[in-house]
Amino acid sequence: MARIKGNIKILSTVCLMAVASAGVGHAQDKPFEGVTLNLASMNDQFSTVLVEMAPEFKEATGAEVKVDILDYGSLLTKTTADFVGNTGGYDLITMDIVWAGQYAQNDFTVDLKDLIERDKAELGTDDIYPKLMDALGNYEGKQVAYPFAGYANVLAYRKDLFEAAGLDVPKTMEELVDAAYKLTDPSKNQYGFVANGQKGPAVAQDWMQYNAEMGGSILDEDGKPALNSEANVKSLEVYRDLFKKAAPPGAADYDWGGREESFRQGIAATMQTWSVGAPGYFNPEISKVVDTVGLALAPRGEGLPELYGIGGWGLAINADINDKQKEAAWAFIKWITSPDVHKAFNMKGAGSYIRKSVVADPELNAKYPFLPLLDTAFEKGDGDYRPRIPEYPEIQDILGTAVNSVLVGDEEPKAALDKAQDAAVKVF
Amino acid sequence: MSRQIALDAARRGFLFFMLAFFLLPFIWLATTAYKPSIDIFSIPPRFGFTPTLDQFRKALSVFDVPSLVRSSIFIAGGSMVLSLLLGVPAGYALARSSHRLAMALAYFFMSIRMVPAVAALIPFYLMMRDIGLVGHWFSVVLINCVLNTAFVTYMMYSYFRALPKELEEAALTDGCHQFSAFWRVSLPAVRSGIVASALFCVLFSWNDFLFAMFLTQLDSKPISVALLSAYGTKDITWGTLGALAHFSTIPIVLIVLFLNRYFVQGLTKGVH
Amino acid sequence: MALSASTEPLVNQFAGFGGLTFAQRRKMFLIAMALPALVYVLGFGVYPLLKGIWYSLYDYNLLKPARTEFIGFGNYVELMFDSDMQRSLINTIVFTASAVFFELVLGFAIALALWRDDRFNRICLTLILIPVTITPLVVGLIFKGLLLADYGLIGYYLAQWGLSDPRGLFASQNTALATLVFIDIWEWTPLVALILLAGLKALPTDILEAAAVDGAKPLRIFRKITLPLMLPSVLLALTIRTIDAFRVFDSVFVTTGGGPGNATNTLMVYAVKEGLSFFNIGKASAIANVSLLCTAIIAAALIFLIRHYDKKASTQ
Repeated sequence: MARIKGNIKILSTVCLMAVASAGVGHAQDKPFEGVTLNLASMNDQFSTVLVEMAPEFKEATGAEVKVDILDYGSLLTKTTADFVGNTGGYDLITMDIVWAGQYAQNDFTVDLKDLIERDKAELGTDDIYPKLMDALGNYEGKQVAYPFAGYANVLAYRKDLFEAAGLDVPKTMEELVDAAYKLTDPSKNQYGFVANGQKGPAVAQDWMQYNAEMGGSILDEDGKPALNSEANVKSLEVYRDLFKKAAPPGAADYDWGGREESFRQGIAATMQTWSVGAPGYFNPEISKVVDTVGLALAPRGEGLPELYGIGGWGLAINADINDKQKEAAWAFIKWITSPDVHKAFNMKGAGSYIRKSVVADPELNAKYPFLPLLDTAFEKGDGDYRPRIPEYPEIQDILGTAVNSVLVGDEEPKAALDKAQDAAVKVF
Repeated sequence: MSRQIALDAARRGFLFFMLAFFLLPFIWLATTAYKPSIDIFSIPPRFGFTPTLDQFRKALSVFDVPSLVRSSIFIAGGSMVLSLLLGVPAGYALARSSHRLAMALAYFFMSIRMVPAVAALIPFYLMMRDIGLVGHWFSVVLINCVLNTAFVTYMMYSYFRALPKELEEAALTDGCHQFSAFWRVSLPAVRSGIVASALFCVLFSWNDFLFAMFLTQLDSKPISVALLSAYGTKDITWGTLGALAHFSTIPIVLIVLFLNRYFVQGLTKGVH
Repeated sequence: MALSASTEPLVNQFAGFGGLTFAQRRKMFLIAMALPALVYVLGFGVYPLLKGIWYSLYDYNLLKPARTEFIGFGNYVELMFDSDMQRSLINTIVFTASAVFFELVLGFAIALALWRDDRFNRICLTLILIPVTITPLVVGLIFKGLLLADYGLIGYYLAQWGLSDPRGLFASQNTALATLVFIDIWEWTPLVALILLAGLKALPTDILEAAAVDGAKPLRIFRKITLPLMLPSVLLALTIRTIDAFRVFDSVFVTTGGGPGNATNTLMVYAVKEGLSFFNIGKASAIANVSLLCTAIIAAALIFLIRHYDKKASTQ
């Protein structure tokens, strides 16, 4: 009996090998031989690393991963069309955390709860920051994506300028605003502060961060829009004055690229930013502030609870693909987020952290000494300062116009936010 | 005579100025491909840099450039051929018909050319899904061709109308078959119009971003779409953009050069 | 008229089959020539478009399918009172009119300069066409990079020498739209030059030569002969560019996002935002249809012009 079984096994192996066109063999260890996974990836730092590491996954499982690197707009448009049209073009999708509400509402992606439960032992979810597990894919009980690339708001600052002015690294927003004014000297082309001013998502997202740090909030306790609250108007006034007096003049039209470049060029003394860009400031190939840059936790308004803005990307599985593809896609998620692979992923500069063990890894810490900041930020993370609700895109757009109008001097903060509030109420 | 020379010099001077105007911004982008990233911007801006091919290496390692260029050529070539096949006869027919409806139809075609793409994009996407073409480059050809055919029809309509009818009528009275009168007499006479239409189709499809972004997948993605993925939200990798712009521009310049020859030839051999 | 009257009986002798007259066969032949294009455009163009018009009568958002509801002209009524929409419409009209005007003038000058067929001109034409070959989004990025006020190659000096707002051309209410017009001119003038050059090359050279031999001044030849003969080409270029400028999206999208405030918001930026970011298909279709209506009006005006000159030409 055993012999027959063995023979059948050999026979089936031979068959499988014959079927697998490449005939690479090891059919049993490569459960997904012949499977191709299309991954729609945001063109953040991790995207090129995904391309680089895809062959290793093929080596391990047989499945080929094709990474389609897309800009933010194309990613959103194409994947949504794919979901809505049920075309199943992409198997895996990187999901911005603010899309979670829409994904959950429409069941675009596989709810991963059952799979996580099934493979609990293998996943080691205890090692993943709970805040990230929640923010990067959980929405009202549905796990629409698996955490994959966690970012934190951090403060990048110029050590040399702070030292020369005899200032301490700001811990509160009040100190940051104060320092920004003190470190501004247009005659030396030196500015204390820089942030996005360009109309649209750029200015909306940066302001929402500052707003949260100054104690403002986009929604009220009942989850309804409260754009023109007193705290929000006040924080927008501060923000506008910073742009007027302490930011490089061109900042009114900066988006992320413009803002980052201006800091790397050395004209801004402080900049709040996503941690994923931080390695860039220390990279002499692109940065002119390599020796003088410092990183700190994002400041917080005096007396406010200690919270740090977090964001980033989850990895989601398209609900429209067949079960075999889903299994393979799930295998890829498990693989890329497993401790060893995730460490290697970050050693190559992906800047995408989710695991406590990876953030604490000595080798990575030697390479990226700012990792302890991420540990604190992830432990006390706030993933909802940009509300992850289905109406988020509209809210962001409304704010994008309102805040930009204030920055360029078209409107007063109060009037602009009142108007925005009226528009926002209509969306709900 | 000296007046002629002065005029010629002025003409050349003007053209050199125009060349500079149209090329310098592009050259700036192209040179970013040879600069180390650190040299792309500086304060104050300067021109000098240490040439390097790193940006090309990076771009080629991340993007499957041959596949991107191939898709672009398929899309541009395919929609050019299809649009000419459909549009040139239609333009001829409308120009030659004396029916009242003919002119109305010509304007109908022109108005199709104006349709804002967004209005039709999603219905078209669902249509392509139903015939199983989403993700195939041919779906981009199909939608590009709607606009291109409309344009070619209208453009050829005006070219054929400018052509004296007598030429053909003479051929027809000689007992020439209708199609060969079209093929042998009218068509060669509007060669410049055809080449201009072809150029226009190629340029339009080569540049198209919205349709291609919406309808293609990784394997069928043209270079116009890939170019934009260098424009990140967190950062703009100007060097990659510059390197990719080479692969997007060189083939089309070659195509334009090639068509240009016929453009000029067709014109000098014209009927006038 | 006299010609066709005399030739028709003649060709009728050749009427080959089915006893069809030449006129009938001619008609069938012309229909057969036009039909494929017509069917194609109806099937792949008009059909999705009608669907789009149908959608515009709904409150229809792909991300909120449960909310779908027929609202008749609700989307249009909403747009009528929408200040964003009004501003977008005005911006689009100003943008289109100024861009097309400068493109025609400059394009004509270039076409004239390139008229003579020599090697230099052929190379020149090819090189000048390069801007047209670049994806419009990338064109926007090039100028964004060049015009950055703090470190862009051109923007830096403009700001330093006080030639632009210190915040840069894109961040000032007064210059943002004009800068976008400039970008459009950069990108599309070569195409206008190409269309006009095709027209110039098709001119009956004998008439021009005869006029020159008669001793007419070049400027007079240009005004009295070249320009009238060029009208069809000019109108073609005008039509094409008006239509496309009216749909401007890409360069705006990457440089200003429609800002500062709403200073550079255009109809297409608005429609694409509603359609492809919010997937608010009903409203996006309505905006697109308003834009379609505007282009139709413009086109009708242009067609009126074309026919007017056609008549004039045929009576001359």
